Amino acid sequence: MKRKHYAALVVGAGIAGIRSALDLAESGLKVALIDRRPNIGGVLAQLDHQFPTDACGMCKMLPLTSRDSSSQFCMRKGLFHKNIDILLHTELAALEGDPGKFRASLRQRSTFVDATRCISCGECARVCPVHVPNEFDSGLSTRGAIYLPVPHAIPNHYVVDLDRCTRCWSCFEACPTDAIDFKYAERKDFRVVAALPDAAARTDLGAWLADQNFPLVLAEDGAAALRALEEERTALLLLDLAVADVDPEKVMRRGLELYPDLDVILVAGPGDQDRAEALIQAGARQWLARPLERTVVRWLDHHYIRTVSDVTHELEVGAVVLACGFDCYDPAQAGQLWGRGVVPGVVTALEFERMCSGTGPTGGRLVRPDGRPARNLAWLQCVGSRDPARGADYCSGICCMFAIKEARLARQADPEAQATIFAMDVRTYGKDFQRYRDEAESRDGVRFVRTRIHSIEPDPEADGVPITWMDDDGTLRREVFDLAVLATGARPPEGSDRLAEAAGIALDANGFAAAPPLQPARTSRLGVYAAGAFNEPRDIAESVIQAGAAALNAARTFKVHSPPREEQAAPAPEYRDVTREAPRMLVVLCDSCPTLRTRVDMPSLAARLGGLSSVVRVECVQGACSAPGWQAVGALAEELRPNRILIGACMPYAYVPRLRELGAQIGLDPAFMDVADIYTPTFPGTATPGTALETEVYTALAMAAVKLAGAEPSPVLGRLPVTPRALVVGGGLAGMTAAMALADMGHDVCLSEKAPRLGGMAAAHHTLLGGGDPRRVMEDLAEQVMRHPNIKVFTQSRIMLSMGRAGRFMTALATAEGPAITVEHGATIIATGGREVVPDSYGYRVHKTVLRQSELEARLADGSLDTGALGGVAMIQCVESREEPRNYCSRVCCAAALKNALTLKERNRDLPVYVFYRDIMSYGFSERFYTEARGRGVLFIRYSPADKPRVSFGQDHRPTIAAFDPVLGRELRVTVDLLALSVGLEPGDNEDLAEVFSLPTGPDGFFREAESKWRPVEFLRQGIFVCGVAHSPRNMSETIASAEAAAQKAARILAHKDVVGGRVTAQVRHSLCSLCGRCVSACAYGARRIDLERGRVEIDELLCQGCGSCAAVCPNSAGVLTGFKDEQVLSVIDAALAEPTQPTEATP
Amino acid sequence: MATIARIDIDETGPVRAVQGFLKTLLARGGVDAVLTPAHLVPAGTVMPTLISDPEALERADPLSPAFPLNAARLVSRLTRGSTSGRHVAAVLRPCEIRAFIELVKLNQGGLDNVLLIGLDCPGAMTNADFRVFGLEGDPLERTREFLRAVAGGESRPGGRSLAGACRVCEHPAPEGADLILGLHGADLDRAIPVLGNTARGEGVLTRLGLPDAPGAPGRREALDALTARNTAARDAMFEATAARTASLAGLAEYLSGCVNCYNCRVACPVCYCKECVFLTDVFDYKPDQYLGWARKRGAIKLPADTVFFHLTRLAHMSTACVGCGQCSNACPNDVPVMELFRTVAERTQGAFGYQPGRSPDEAPPMTVFREDEFSEMTGEAH
Repeated sequence: MKRKHYAALVVGAGIAGIRSALDLAESGLKVALIDRRPNIGGVLAQLDHQFPTDACGMCKMLPLTSRDSSSQFCMRKGLFHKNIDILLHTELAALEGDPGKFRASLRQRSTFVDATRCISCGECARVCPVHVPNEFDSGLSTRGAIYLPVPHAIPNHYVVDLDRCTRCWSCFEACPTDAIDFKYAERKDFRVVAALPDAAARTDLGAWLADQNFPLVLAEDGAAALRALEEERTALLLLDLAVADVDPEKVMRRGLELYPDLDVILVAGPGDQDRAEALIQAGARQWLARPLERTVVRWLDHHYIRTVSDVTHELEVGAVVLACGFDCYDPAQAGQLWGRGVVPGVVTALEFERMCSGTGPTGGRLVRPDGRPARNLAWLQCVGSRDPARGADYCSGICCMFAIKEARLARQADPEAQATIFAMDVRTYGKDFQRYRDEAESRDGVRFVRTRIHSIEPDPEADGVPITWMDDDGTLRREVFDLAVLATGARPPEGSDRLAEAAGIALDANGFAAAPPLQPARTSRLGVYAAGAFNEPRDIAESVIQAGAAALNAARTFKVHSPPREEQAAPAPEYRDVTREAPRMLVVLCDSCPTLRTRVDMPSLAARLGGLSSVVRVECVQGACSAPGWQAVGALAEELRPNRILIGACMPYAYVPRLRELGAQIGLDPAFMDVADIYTPTFPGTATPGTALETEVYTALAMAAVKLAGAEPSPVLGRLPVTPRALVVGGGLAGMTAAMALADMGHDVCLSEKAPRLGGMAAAHHTLLGGGDPRRVMEDLAEQVMRHPNIKVFTQSRIMLSMGRAGRFMTALATAEGPAITVEHGATIIATGGREVVPDSYGYRVHKTVLRQSELEARLADGSLDTGALGGVAMIQCVESREEPRNYCSRVCCAAALKNALTLKERNRDLPVYVFYRDIMSYGFSERFYTEARGRGVLFIRYSPADKPRVSFGQDHRPTIAAFDPVLGRELRVTVDLLALSVGLEPGDNEDLAEVFSLPTGPDGFFREAESKWRPVEFLRQGIFVCGVAHSPRNMSETIASAEAAAQKAARILAHKDVVGGRVTAQVRHSLCSLCGRCVSACAYGARRIDLERGRVEIDELLCQGCGSCAAVCPNSAGVLTGFKDEQVLSVIDAALAEPTQPTEATP
Repeated sequence: MATIARIDIDETGPVRAVQGFLKTLLARGGVDAVLTPAHLVPAGTVMPTLISDPEALERADPLSPAFPLNAARLVSRLTRGSTSGRHVAAVLRPCEIRAFIELVKLNQGGLDNVLLIGLDCPGAMTNADFRVFGLEGDPLERTREFLRAVAGGESRPGGRSLAGACRVCEHPAPEGADLILGLHGADLDRAIPVLGNTARGEGVLTRLGLPDAPGAPGRREALDALTARNTAARDAMFEATAARTASLAGLAEYLSGCVNCYNCRVACPVCYCKECVFLTDVFDYKPDQYLGWARKRGAIKLPADTVFFHLTRLAHMSTACVGCGQCSNACPNDVPVMELFRTVAERTQGAFGYQPGRSPDEAPPMTVFREDEFSEMTGEAH
């Protein structure tokens, strides 16, 4: 088999996998994207709402440049990119070889439904007698054994769940297109030889398999079996180890010798199972227990059908990205602890999300199990997270935010809903999370209760879910809720151990992919990278960043290790000019599917179409989507040389690449071709056959025909040569990481740093939580950057001025020595970092006993602090943080406090250490350090922002901290030797830079990315990217990930010779334009401006996304959109109205 | 600083007094010319006239009931992209000011070099009526007669009805003007109060050295009474028009007199397109198209696109409609265009809480996108 070559294989087509694949594809690399599910989208396929917009928004990840390479519609429905091959229902079976030249074996499980035939009409599901819980609705609805895995995918084909199928053949008989294939006829080629010494067993087997259509030879001993094998080609050998005359191993070896792909299935009793295992090592497939039961029929059926239907793909790939996501913790694993199954109204978060979905099982209504509206709702946090007893000494990092989001959604669904969140800590550590939470509390009235609900006890008396907890003042409270939502945490995906084995990577103690310190995208195997939540639970934004980092590493591996390959670029097709010709349209109708043929009079339809003035020929072909059908279309086009081609078929989107090929073949711009969906109206149950249906089909075609008649060629506009150099602003960890990444990929980099030395904030770290030597890392990195031939470093430099657009910017740098220099670059990365806050509270700068955590860390590292002589250390978290004006969590301070507390305890076991905190933000795997600190006796005392700790100082400057302890229920006073303040980070002086580059900043002064979840390292202004603390507070590992993600985005531009926009863009008819500027304010992409000097509206074709808002607001069509001219749209409307399917009221 | 001054009226009457005021303005107000309605020489109707010679102001008559066209577009021509540093004063009716402010929002004019002098509007006649009423006898005397009749509360001043638009006008005071000639409630034998309505207006007023007035006694009351009367008439008109145009068939009948001359759009002050889309190639149908329609429907009225034209103009311009009534004034076939526009505009403007011409800072609704708007249409309230 010839191996297909790809730059990278991406395993997992959830959001991280899609992001990695798109990142690689957009930089021109070929990617294979696989997922073991039958659909893309991962868990997000089920989720309709994401904060902060409370909408979906996944489509915001679609490429904005070179748009025509990709589909441009809802990404939850599907994704098409010319550089991405998607294989679904496919798993990685083995990965061999070395980085740059891996050999990947993929196993694609058959769905038993032929995608080229299935028209998704649903007849099969209607007749299926099986009803099992539907995974898509988290079991809240049922599905058949043949079903649509997700209701919205494009293309969407039915799938057979073989394990649930009773093989009743109802679907097979119901399918109008013969798409379901259980390979029944082919069974006659699947010869089975059964060597069974026991006569009764032979008789039984013979009887059981009598009507199964398999050629069966029953052999009573080894010799007979050998004879049978020699006789004729055999597919399966059922070999009882009790065969005595010939050694069973000999029979097996002969069989395999004759037919290398023979399936040898052993039958073993209790005594010879060890022998069976040994023979499996020698080539047998598996063993079954003696005596054989009737179930062997079902087993053989499955075995056969898998053997003949499943496919193996062999690929050669440069690098591998594992983006296998996570599974939601199943609370049933803890039995009835949370009342699952015994208390009605206990749901998981995923079930709740399905309830919120307008297309979900309840149509978006929140209902109790008894059908009454659910108004009083509770969320139980940390179900399966932060629970070492249940194998999760980590925080899932996502549940606090999704619980808050769900609470807000509940309020939106029902304004009377009351939401209560039970949580130990509310971990709002991400960008803008704190404000979202505050808004939930103040605006939506979400109640936060500080406790962990350990269990839910059933109570038959209660009208709902009874929940009992201890309040802060020590009283036992009980409340009955309509619904209790279990905020189930993240667990490694099922089968990750198998995958790890196949991919040859190590897993960590939690079962996620192990990552080396400060190499967030790496795994234990070189050339194999982890994206998304596969090496630590992450939310969408961080998964997307992590996916970018993984993509960068994969691209770098491919670039460095892959043998150079001759890539012959396809020549740009040449199209003949048909704009001056009268339309001559070829109409091809695909009539292979009986739904159309039996319901619509095809000759009559063809005759009506032939009556359209632009149509010169109407032809029917069989299976336009199949290879022969498409060849027939091509032959017609060759013969007729039409200047318009309209195809009536199903699934128009599937034809996009084919139209492009056909265009090249006959020299016709694909803008003059279209595919109209004529099948959907013919689905059974949608319309009755007859004139009305025929008219509906005709109208669909006529509308497309008149639109095509008025079509214009659509050349790609906005082609701009790229300057292959990046400018990186900021020489800290983020800037240096990004610079190295780009330089390694062969791009020139200009790195500007305002300080005299590289290093930035991270250079001040001495230790890391969990070990590692950040100083060494930073020094090495700075040295590599300085020595890299592709990087030019300007220290003590400042950006003065910048202009241009993606592909070509001009930026003026002021340097310490000499005059300003001008840099020409194609992409820009902003990595200007931030700084530690200098507080004004708690006696800092007044008393030398008060330090910031960084200062404590430095004194612990350089040995100047004698921990043995200390009588006590206190720490206060969230100093001047998480409240206005700095209402955000800085992410690093809890980790710093834990790090210093653990170091203090390590050096002086008995030293009292007190941590006054609001919420400990030890998200992800850093949770274990929180567990460890508590285990070592660090005391954590929670305070609320309304009642902060009070600090007073004695004569000797020793601080005394007084605070209310909610656990003790009284005021606590401690006097210590040192007080460490966790102060958080603030952005650098970003205003000047923001102005120079026309970039927005958020309320806290950090740069405002294009979209917080889907485009976290991009700006709306294309070609400029942001990473590190300039974007938001983040630790070193997260900074590296974001820098690599930003570098990958920049590489996406730099890898191309020129940047191109899309074919559908707006244009201005200047002679008609009154310069009113409505289009300028209507443009959501900032692609339009009024050029005062020239007195006209100008469009940046690269920024224009062809949405048409401008054309809609322009009153006299001075603003037009390619392919959507008024004349076209009006004639389409006219065609749609011309043939009323129902009589309308006559108008004068 | 005087925010209210007065123009004293002697026995020559209010028009002469206003002429005197405009002369003072030319001399001391820092303006290079005045755009004002003036009687044409040697004879004819009243037309907006740009006057820089004080002598020529002898023919100015902004108080005349003539309202041949809405001057907003003329002011936009005088101000759009002006960099000369020369200033113009424009004496305008309230609906003209509102229309001009709409044009400014659409980049069709500028506020920098124009002093807007607004008239407390006594209403105007249609062109047809004014031709009968205004062109006999001493024109200035006719204006005085008209003003007296209006002040006396006559419903048919000079024996003629006011134009339909004026009868249903609920904004008879020039809210956006720099200076207001406070005619409402004024004793036109004695004085007209001049109100400084903006900082610029007050500055100019100070420079003119007019005698101070204690206020504009009776103005508020007169204005309120007029507004109340017109609003009641307006609501009755809305109801009648809405009933007549409630169905597509009703609308077609309503517009059945229309001959697609497009005069209404030419007369419309806020229709600002260089070339109307109905004159462009978009509506250039091929002969086949007409025949196709006729074949499919059996009969097709020509010219086609009559209802479509009015609906299109409603879609484009009804949010900006200031209710000046020039569309009806221009219609040769007495199609009640103003009534239709105002009735629809009431709802389209109401949908966005938008009042055209109120303030240049208020963006036209179609240029602003707010996520929370029309949640009943978009489905979800986020």
